[in-house]
Amino acid sequence: MKLVFYMHMHQPWRLARFRYVDLGSGRPYVDHERNLAIFRRIAERCYRPALGRLLDALDRFPEFRFSLSVTGTFLEQARLAAPDVLGLLKRAAATGRVAFLAETYYHSLSFLLPPPELTEEINLHVSALHDEFDVKPSMLRMTELAYSDELGYFAERHGFKGMLAEGWEATLGDRSPNEVYSGARAPNLKLLLRNYRLSDDVGFRFSARGWSEYPLTAEKYARWLAATPGRVLGLFMDFETFGEHHDVSTGILDFLAALPRFVDRETTLSWATVDEAASEPAQGPLAVPTTMTWADQNRDLGAWLGNDLQRSAFEAAKKMGSLARRSGDPEILTTWRRLMTSDHFYYMYLGAHGADMGVHQYFSSYGSPYDAYANYMNALTDLRRRALEAAGVRAPA
Amino acid sequence: MAPAGEVARPSAPPRKSRVKSVSRAELEAIGRTLVWVRPASEAPPEPVHVASRRLHIVMVGWEYPPHISGGLGVHCYELCKELTRMGHRVTFVTPFSGPFLETPGVTFRFPGSAPREGTPPPGSYNVVLGPEGQVADSLASYNDWVAALPLAKDVDAIHVHDWFGTVGAASAARRHHVPLVMTVHSTEYDRSLGFPNLAILEMERHGVAAAHRVISVSGHLKKQLIERFHVPPDRIRVVYNAVRPTARLERLVRPDPIVLYLGRLAAMKGVDTFLRAAARVLPFVPDATFVVAGDGPEFPRLLTLAAHLGIADHVLFLGWVTDDERTILLGRASVYVLPSVVEPFGISALEAMVAGVPTIVSKTSGVAEITESVFAVDFWDIDEFASRIAELLTYPSLRNVMSDAVREAALNATWAERARQTVSVYLEVVAPVAAER
Repeated sequence: MKLVFYMHMHQPWRLARFRYVDLGSGRPYVDHERNLAIFRRIAERCYRPALGRLLDALDRFPEFRFSLSVTGTFLEQARLAAPDVLGLLKRAAATGRVAFLAETYYHSLSFLLPPPELTEEINLHVSALHDEFDVKPSMLRMTELAYSDELGYFAERHGFKGMLAEGWEATLGDRSPNEVYSGARAPNLKLLLRNYRLSDDVGFRFSARGWSEYPLTAEKYARWLAATPGRVLGLFMDFETFGEHHDVSTGILDFLAALPRFVDRETTLSWATVDEAASEPAQGPLAVPTTMTWADQNRDLGAWLGNDLQRSAFEAAKKMGSLARRSGDPEILTTWRRLMTSDHFYYMYLGAHGADMGVHQYFSSYGSPYDAYANYMNALTDLRRRALEAAGVRAPA
Repeated sequence: MAPAGEVARPSAPPRKSRVKSVSRAELEAIGRTLVWVRPASEAPPEPVHVASRRLHIVMVGWEYPPHISGGLGVHCYELCKELTRMGHRVTFVTPFSGPFLETPGVTFRFPGSAPREGTPPPGSYNVVLGPEGQVADSLASYNDWVAALPLAKDVDAIHVHDWFGTVGAASAARRHHVPLVMTVHSTEYDRSLGFPNLAILEMERHGVAAAHRVISVSGHLKKQLIERFHVPPDRIRVVYNAVRPTARLERLVRPDPIVLYLGRLAAMKGVDTFLRAAARVLPFVPDATFVVAGDGPEFPRLLTLAAHLGIADHVLFLGWVTDDERTILLGRASVYVLPSVVEPFGISALEAMVAGVPTIVSKTSGVAEITESVFAVDFWDIDEFASRIAELLTYPSLRNVMSDAVREAALNATWAERARQTVSVYLEVVAPVAAER
């Protein structure tokens, strides 16, 4: 069994309070200092210690491998707030045993926008990865692991070897998530699936004292992995799992440090990067007619576009795309793209019931979804006015 | 609101307001031209919970319908109604003579209602201040009357609201060895904006010191009771106000939106913030009208302020409005604003919410504690009030989603639930005090 250990690194440019009366004032939409302060805090709690343990494992276990996706906005903030984190990532890249994936630079939902936005954003990201780490990704992941037949077709046409997706019963039927599949409309594209049970055992349940398997040790976890049938096992999670979502006091960093040692003892287990796993033959095509993600109980886009606030904000932003391009001002285009970062829509989630709300509130930097929406719309309205001016169109009175 | 320190009116508010500038007919004419965009929905049925133990409560209150000038009267009426629906009995003690709105299970006692019992105070029962600011004799004699009130043997507790009957209620509770519960709706510090009438303050202190349990209508007020009245925190319980579930009003959308303030024109209400915010909104939303519905001592100053800000043609002072007019206004308003400097709870905001009007309140108001579906703003932050108003006027999705959310939040705040919470406060003290007897 090949273990594909993949972690996602992302930080959005959170907006400052931009009030309606600030329209036209020239105030910035983004509070840089606050974002960088958050980054520094997470770097201290998570990025540095977790990367330290991963680098250590790369040194000690020649078979150890993992894969990373690092968004463009993460790279921007790391450069300003904690350049040493980039240094650690560079060291990991230099081993040749860490694969980097391509994605949208702004962690956006640009696959829902008219072309060429998606292609341009991916190209931006690929060249940023090349400049920073001297790597050339062959695998693609979409924001929140979004995948559909349509996206598979896109990825294959753009020369990607494979994509990541959720291993979800609704699409798999009785087939195993622990195999490699091909795209339904992209026969040469390999799909690596997330085993969400084993991934969430670490990502969500590790520190849950009420969980029957608490506490989870690396030894026990490695045994579970070894006992799982299949050829390729996807352990996909947020990088912040290690020290941020679960505090260091839960023992999560010790778990991370110990895992390669216990996996090494299991003779049936080996590590593979996403690129290596995608070389395995496919077990037939997997049809995903509508977009599937790794989020919430429904695995759809409901977390970003599920309510009227989210849809109206996204539609308003989408409409502004051609204007942002037409303005001819690169700063306006960049600002618009920062506003397309999916996190902004996530903060407007309203569903106040069930297990997902806690997750949403944990990630939100606003008092309420209404706050998030109003603030976002103010920034967008102001940007539209600026773009109209730059494009030489008189703003309607 | 609770009787104010200045001069409280014991009678019903005047039916005709001296500042009214729009007639009822005009308002109704506005109503007829409106576009109905959302169907009204029926109020959900109210559940009845029958108590396992039937209590007899002597409630020392103030106003009672049909004479109501503020939140205190509404609170007492709804509480009595729910308590009796649960099977409890209430003897309601008030300085005013009836007739009162008949409420099954509630017996009214007022000076003169039982001439042979106690000593009725002389003359009228108006609460007025003497030349040195002390509360006049009539109030003292009212308290003497309350203290001497003969109580039935089965009375379980005395429940006093605010300051005017505290001395009598405390003395009666001691004499009959029954527990005293006191609900504080607001304090003299709040009502006077920091310049308290010391005699009233003394009666508040007397009440909270004597009460076995103090009920506060918000967490914010509880903090004040601890810090300024030194009430031990473990004796305070928070029971919020509520709202009667009414049918959802049809929400009306017109190109010329209305932003509504509805309440007394008192300094603590911060209506000047409403006007200053209006002046900031109008450059962005030039067709908005800001309606000030209510009467009070601040009216002349507010009228002058509107003129000074150059927005007089966008501000409508309606004066005191009837219940029907209030309904029309709530159906027509796009936004409701309660910018109070001090607002122990803010029932009027709940009334707007249950009507489905997106609501902006100041952070200090108790209503901000029970829901996240309103915008809560620092009372001094004019720009933030202006922004919230403009955002609600400009973004229809926000207005619609918040309209649904505020109504749902308000419907969760029922008087039946508040009565149950009040009963559990009674039960905390009824048994221990009975055991001491």
